[in-house]
Amino acid sequence: MQRSKWIWLVWAVVVLCYLVPYTVLSDVHAWYGSVLFWTLAGVAVIAINLYITKDFEGR
Amino acid sequence: MTESMIWWSVAIYLVIAIAIAILARQGKMANMSGYFLGDRKMGGFVSAMSYSATTYSAFMMVGLAGLTYKGGVGALGFEIIYFAGVSLVAIFGPKFWAVGKKFGFVTPSEMLGHRYGDKKVSMAVAISSCIFLIPYAAVQLAGVGYLLQGATEGAIPFTTGVVLATVVAIFFSYIAGIRSVMWTDSLQAIMMIIASTLVAWLVIQGLGGFHALFDTLAEEKPQSLVVPGPGLFSFVTFLGLTIPWFFFSLSNPQVSQRLFMPSSLSAMRRMLMGFLVFGLIYTLVSVLWGFSALAAYPDLAQADLATATLLGSEHVPPVLGAIVLIGIMAAAISTIDSIMLTLSSMLARDVYANMKDGRDDGKQLLLGKIVIPIIAILAFGFAELQLDLIAVLSVAASSGLVAVVPATIGAFYWKRGTAAGALTSVVGTTLIVLLMYATGNKFLGLPAGIWGIIVATVLYVGVSLATRPQTERAEAFLDASTKY
Repeated sequence: MQRSKWIWLVWAVVVLCYLVPYTVLSDVHAWYGSVLFWTLAGVAVIAINLYITKDFEGR
Repeated sequence: MTESMIWWSVAIYLVIAIAIAILARQGKMANMSGYFLGDRKMGGFVSAMSYSATTYSAFMMVGLAGLTYKGGVGALGFEIIYFAGVSLVAIFGPKFWAVGKKFGFVTPSEMLGHRYGDKKVSMAVAISSCIFLIPYAAVQLAGVGYLLQGATEGAIPFTTGVVLATVVAIFFSYIAGIRSVMWTDSLQAIMMIIASTLVAWLVIQGLGGFHALFDTLAEEKPQSLVVPGPGLFSFVTFLGLTIPWFFFSLSNPQVSQRLFMPSSLSAMRRMLMGFLVFGLIYTLVSVLWGFSALAAYPDLAQADLATATLLGSEHVPPVLGAIVLIGIMAAAISTIDSIMLTLSSMLARDVYANMKDGRDDGKQLLLGKIVIPIIAILAFGFAELQLDLIAVLSVAASSGLVAVVPATIGAFYWKRGTAAGALTSVVGTTLIVLLMYATGNKFLGLPAGIWGIIVATVLYVGVSLATRPQTERAEAFLDASTKY
C-alpha cells in the first residue's frame, strides 16, 4: 500500500477531534479531558506525517 | 515593562533583522522566480521556520490566547484541527512542487489558470485572494497596535504600532524579495518559540505549577475545560471556525506558494515536519497563556487583553516580557510581509500580465514591486478602522479563501473539472461569503465558514459536469503532477 494512503488515518483523527470532546468528554472538567485528548491528537498527526513523508527523502 | 525598555527592544530587533535581510541578498533577483520563489532553491530548515512564522501570526499569542480566555479549551480543538489540516501538504506538496518545476509556475493561481486552460481563472483567484487577504493582513497590523498600546498602558498609541509594523513589513519584502522574508521569518520564528515557551513556563510556575493551574480552573471556571464550555464554542460555531482553517494550507496563497520553493522533496519534508513540531508547541503555549490569564485575571474587560495583561504581570521579568512583545510583533510582521509579497506576485503574474500580450517577466517584476507598498497602505487603512475581535476577522478571511479549494483539489484528482466550473466556483463563493458577512453571517442557522466550502464544491462539480472539459490538457497536468 502506498504511504500516502495513510493520510486517511489523519482524517480519522480529525473526525474524532469533533466527536469525542463534544460527547464523551463534555463532562470531564480536568486537564485529562479535552485538553489531553486534543494534545494527543496533535502528537498523532505528527507521527502519521512522519511516516507518510518517509519516501520524500533523497528526492 | 517601561516604555523606554520596549523602544530599546524594538530598536535591537530592527538592527538584527535588517542585518539578516541584507545578508539574505544573494543569487539572481532579476526575474519573477528569483524574487518571489528564491529560484526554487530554498532549504528545509529555513522553509520550515518561515512556513511557521508566516502561518502563525499575531493571531496565536494574542487571538488564540484571547479565544481560550473567552471560550475555554475549544480554542485548542479549533487550532488542532487546523494543524491536522496542514497534513494536506504531505499529499499536495509534491504535486505542486512537480508541476511548478515542469511548467515554471510562480503563483498557485497561475497553476490553476494553466490546468483549466483559461486565464480568467487565474485572474479571478488572484482578485479573490486580495479581497480576503488584505483585511487579514490588516488584522495582523491591528494586533501589533493593540499589543504595544496594551503593554505600555497607552504610552505607545495604537497608530504608532501600526505604522511601525507597516514600514518594517514593506522593508523586509523589498530588500531581497522572498529571501529576505524567509530569513527574517526564521529569526522571528526562533525568537517567538523560545520566548513564549519561557513565559508560559514562568507564569505557570508563578501560579503554583501545572496542577495548581488546572485545579484553579476546575474549581473556579470548570466550563473552560470542556466544550461547548462557557458558550462560545457551540458545535455549529466550532464547525464554522474549523472547516475553513482546515483547508488553510491549500486556500491561502501565501503558504501554498511555498510548495513551489523547496530545493528538493527532502527539503519539503523538513519544512512540513519542522512546521508541525513548531506548531504543536506554539499552539499549546498560546492556549496555556489563555488559561493562565483566566486563572490569574478572570475579570478582564476584553479577552484580547489576556496576553498583554499576562506580560505585564509580576510573574514575567520585564526584560522577557519585552522580548515576547517583540516576538509577537515579529510574528505579525512575518505574516504581513509574506502576504504582501504573494499578493503582489499574483497581481503581476495573473492580472497584469494576462490583461495584455507582451508583458514579459521583467515588466511583471517591476509591477510586482510597485504593488507591494500599495497593498501595505490598503492594509494600514483597514487596521486604522480598529475592528473588534481579531480571531473572528481572520476567520472571515479564511471562509472566503476556501473558494479556491475544490478547484485546487479537482485540478489534481478530477480530469472532468472545467474552467467554467473553477471560475463559477471561485467567483460565486467569494460573492456569497461577502454577502453573508454583510448580512449577519447566518443562513439557515449556519455560518459562512460552513457554507463557503459547500457552495464552492457544488458550483465546481455542477458547472464542470454541465460543460466540456479539456481532457488532453488535464491529462498532461495530472501526468506531470505524479512525476517526482
